[in-house]
Amino acid sequence: MTPLFLTAALVLATGLFAVGLFGLMIRRGILFQIIALEIMLTGPALAFVAAGAHHGDPGGQGMFIFVLVLAASEVALGLALYLRLGRHADVSDSDTVNLLRR
Amino acid sequence: MSPFFALLLVPMPAMGAFLLLGLGPAEFNRRAIQTIALAGATLPAVVMLPLGAYCLMGTCDGIQPIFDLEVGPAVVALALKLDPLSALVGVTVTIIGACVIGYSIDYMAKSEIADLRRYFALMNLFLASMLCMVLAGDSIIFFLGWELMGLCSFFLIAYHVTSARAIAAGRKAFVITRVADAFLLAALLLLFLEAGSVRLDDLIPAGIATDDVRRGLIAALLLAGAMGKSAQLPFHTWLPSAMAGPTPVSALLHSATMVAAGAYLLARLAPLMETVPLVMAVTATVGAATALFGATAAVFQLDVKRLLAYSSISQIGFMLLAIGLGQPEVAIAHFVVHAIFKSLLFLSAGDITQIARGTTDIAAMRGALRARPVAYLAFVAGAASLAGIPFVTGGWFSKEAILASAWLAGPFGIVLWGVALSAAVLTGAYAFRPVLVGLIPVKGARMTFGGVFTNLPILLLAAGTFAIAPLVTPMVEFLDATVPHPPLAVELVGAVAPFVGLALAFAMTFMPRISRRVAQARRMRSGIRIDGVYQIVFVQPFVALVRWLTGQRGSIADPVGTLPVMGAQWLVGAIVRPLAHDPLDRAWAGFASATVRAWGVARHVQSGRVRDYALAIAVGVALLLLLGWGTTWR
Amino acid sequence: MALTALIVLPLFGGIAALLVARLGRNAERWFSIAVLAVALIALIVAWTGGPPPDAPGAQWLALVRYQYAPALGLQFLLAMDGLSGALVAVSIVLGIISVVISWNIRKQSGLFHACILWTVAASNGVFLAMDLLFFAFFWELMLVPSFLLISIWGHGDREAVALKFLVFNAVAGLGLLAAVFYMAATAPEITFDAFVFAEMGIPPLAQVWLLLGFSMAFLTKLPAPPFHAWLPDAHTMAPTAGSILLAGLLLKTGAYGLFRFPGMLFPDGFHVLAPYGLALGAFGTIYGAVLACGQTDAKRLVAYTSIAHMSIVLMGLSGGVHFAMMGAGVEMIAHAFSASALFLLIGALYDRVGTRDLRQLGGLQQTAPRFAAAFAVFFSAALAMPGTANFLGEALVITGMFQVNWFLAAIALVSLVVSVVYATGLLKRIIFGVPSKACVTQDLTWSELAPVIVLATGTLLFGMLPQLLLVVLEPAVDAALAPLVRP
Repeated sequence: MTPLFLTAALVLATGLFAVGLFGLMIRRGILFQIIALEIMLTGPALAFVAAGAHHGDPGGQGMFIFVLVLAASEVALGLALYLRLGRHADVSDSDTVNLLRR
Repeated sequence: MSPFFALLLVPMPAMGAFLLLGLGPAEFNRRAIQTIALAGATLPAVVMLPLGAYCLMGTCDGIQPIFDLEVGPAVVALALKLDPLSALVGVTVTIIGACVIGYSIDYMAKSEIADLRRYFALMNLFLASMLCMVLAGDSIIFFLGWELMGLCSFFLIAYHVTSARAIAAGRKAFVITRVADAFLLAALLLLFLEAGSVRLDDLIPAGIATDDVRRGLIAALLLAGAMGKSAQLPFHTWLPSAMAGPTPVSALLHSATMVAAGAYLLARLAPLMETVPLVMAVTATVGAATALFGATAAVFQLDVKRLLAYSSISQIGFMLLAIGLGQPEVAIAHFVVHAIFKSLLFLSAGDITQIARGTTDIAAMRGALRARPVAYLAFVAGAASLAGIPFVTGGWFSKEAILASAWLAGPFGIVLWGVALSAAVLTGAYAFRPVLVGLIPVKGARMTFGGVFTNLPILLLAAGTFAIAPLVTPMVEFLDATVPHPPLAVELVGAVAPFVGLALAFAMTFMPRISRRVAQARRMRSGIRIDGVYQIVFVQPFVALVRWLTGQRGSIADPVGTLPVMGAQWLVGAIVRPLAHDPLDRAWAGFASATVRAWGVARHVQSGRVRDYALAIAVGVALLLLLGWGTTWR
Repeated sequence: MALTALIVLPLFGGIAALLVARLGRNAERWFSIAVLAVALIALIVAWTGGPPPDAPGAQWLALVRYQYAPALGLQFLLAMDGLSGALVAVSIVLGIISVVISWNIRKQSGLFHACILWTVAASNGVFLAMDLLFFAFFWELMLVPSFLLISIWGHGDREAVALKFLVFNAVAGLGLLAAVFYMAATAPEITFDAFVFAEMGIPPLAQVWLLLGFSMAFLTKLPAPPFHAWLPDAHTMAPTAGSILLAGLLLKTGAYGLFRFPGMLFPDGFHVLAPYGLALGAFGTIYGAVLACGQTDAKRLVAYTSIAHMSIVLMGLSGGVHFAMMGAGVEMIAHAFSASALFLLIGALYDRVGTRDLRQLGGLQQTAPRFAAAFAVFFSAALAMPGTANFLGEALVITGMFQVNWFLAAIALVSLVVSVVYATGLLKRIIFGVPSKACVTQDLTWSELAPVIVLATGTLLFGMLPQLLLVVLEPAVDAALAPLVRP
């Protein structure tokens, strides 16, 4: 694993994170925001794997699995909220639920 | 127990009757009221007559102590006293009181307002007060009786409670006599301070022993008190208006009690009065002037009761004249004689005029001889005594004694004698006017007689006017003095006076030209209008003052009391109100409201939009990273 | 101990009355009467208990002393002499009468009776306390129940009037409080004991100022012009019981203060200020009487006569001679009876016809003779007819005035004459005349007649047998005058 590769991997990770963040901020659809969040999570996860490979440490892959679990639970929660909002209030725009109440 | 203990019992029955009728809460029927009243009025006479008899036989000088009060250094020893003066006057008062109240039993039953209970309660209290005053051995009991009489006279004059005139007359009587009472109270209290005791036996020597100025003042105050109560000039105005009360009230008020009380007061304190010659001269002058004035005013009256009222003023003027001349014993003899004939006149006139449906005009006497012979003849007897028909009537003897004492009192006395003689002539004139009117026949008059309660007192008193005639000289001697005797010519002049008056009365009654003149003399009839003077000098300024002080003239009500209120209001306006909006408080309040406004702005950050928060978190983390990077820079 | 009960019993009785009122109909009324009756017994016990061993003078009939807060010099110190004993007796009797006369009060009856009991308690405290801080405390405490009585059960513009009453008296009370604190501060060691102050030897100039402070409170309560504006309003608007307590008790506390303290604490100050007191009294007696002549409201009329009579008391107290002082004491008691009775009668009249306007009344003599007789008796008392205690009081004051200054005696006599004008005016409007539209059909009932008889008996008994009262007052008067006699 060359330092160059590492750098390239970190740049990619940063890019993924930035794309996700960008998507989170400009999209108003809740589903898209959840997807953007998933993308954001992949960035740090890639960075963990790359850093683990670079240092020869299995902790990087461990952390990756941790991030996967986190992402899974987060998606589950986010989709549940999305479905709830959609079913009861017919809402898919996150800006319209800014008051957290009717 | 001394026989003087009975003195305490004299006013008790009348007082008891008052308490039962006036203040007792129990209900009584008409007969019970009359019985109680009669018992209360006659029992004092029953007790007093033996006492008088005892006095004639034994030593007539006794004190019955009631109880002693200790007021600091002084001892107020209340007592009743029996001496010739109080015995004589006491007997007179009890007899007259019994006669008048007995007479009232029938008379008042026929009156418009048959509130017998109130009437008899007050009459009995009146009698009890007079007896207290007469028998008093000390100034407190004396003043008690004196003042209670004033109160009773108010209620009795205003007996016809629905008549505004009667109430006004009662108030007038009470206020004027109260002025006199204030003078008397001042005199008695000054004497009390001199003597340190209230016993009359101590007061008189202490008063004599004091310095000239103080003695003169005390004597003058006593005279003023007596003048007010006795309706002498210039206090006489209340008495004619007091005729608004029922006739028996006038009979009691004018004969033996209230009005004559002034004369009794001066006779009682005569030793003290005699030490101040100036006051004595004033007393005599006032007496003579009032005698003439009263007689003149009486001549012009058209109303029997008012005529008799002015007659009382005039007759008491005679008494004051005698006292001023240093002959109080003669004055008391006249007091007794006057009490009998004046109550007789009122009672018989009341009986005659009641038949004439309440009007008390002299015209109501017309035909009285035929219509009501008993009362008319009794009235004639009274008028004869009032005029002083010689030798047979008591009036002649006592009046002659007064004229005699004036004649014998030096050059000034002769002037007074002249005044008194002209008063005597006029007395004859007014006394016989109603009598002569009564002779005028009226068509269709029926002869009637009153009941026993009406006739018995009248006949008793009519007999008394003649029976007292030979007793005048013994009375004066009983009082330890002698009747003065002037030259025979002077006595003859005095004897002729009533007949001259009778001639005048004839002229006034039967000569239309003169009687018309009499009817037109309004000024004299209203007592030379001193009432009007009082109205202007005292009443109107007082009313104006009251109106002004109570804010009825656009002024501030109760100005003195409003003063602190206005001060407080000014204080509020000047100091409290400008500081009411506390500047410091406003600064704090401004700070608070600014903070509230700042929060309002700041909360816009909390948009609730997920995207905004994501941006904020991102920017924040970025800044933190930058900060971390910057601080670890080497 | 019995003295303490005189204050504590009605004080806590009042609180208990609030609770007892829930028990049932009229329970609080009987309870209040019972409390006052027990207080009366306590008074008799205290009176007959014999002279206390530790009393500072022979005139004291009973004395109680507890150390209440020794660090502050505060003692619970009560002492009773003849005058305060008589006034306490009057206050308890008037308390009972107030309860009896208010039998038809339904609104917040518990609080009403509590107020009556508290008024009695506080005025007893004033009459008995010789620790001046407690005196001042009771002095202010007295205002509260009266304030409530006027503002809750009063007539007309009652809130404003109650406030006027409170402001006048509370402000005036400050003078008293300031003077008390000054004396406590200048004492050798901190105390509020009046007996200690009496021995202290306050410098003459300070005495004048301190007496002014005391007088400020006393003259307002008396009330002497020009501090009287609260009285006619308060009397007019107060319920009957309130008027009785005001006239019978509150006014007497002012007179009591002027009786007790000037001679005892400030003899030098008294000599400086007495002429002004005499002048104020002379002015007030004429002023009150003249104003009474012009009133159209019966209660206001009686209120102004109170001013006239209490001004006579002021003259008597400022005279500094035995007769006048004695007369003032008698007049205080006599006026408590006669003025209370008049307010009672006018209140009873108001209950029947709903007006106190003299122009609308009349004819009582024909429709209700008992009523008329009662009015006549108490108006005789108001115009100082001999045979009533009022005459004794006024005659003694006038006697004293003859010793002080003849001019003042003449003024007092003039006020006697004016009293006839207003008294006959009132009789004319109420009992004489044609029965008007507002005419009474029901005569006095027994529950009204009983208090009237009690008060009439008091007035006439002390008028006819004055020795009963004079014996009681004599030692108190002697003791009050003793420091005033100049060496």
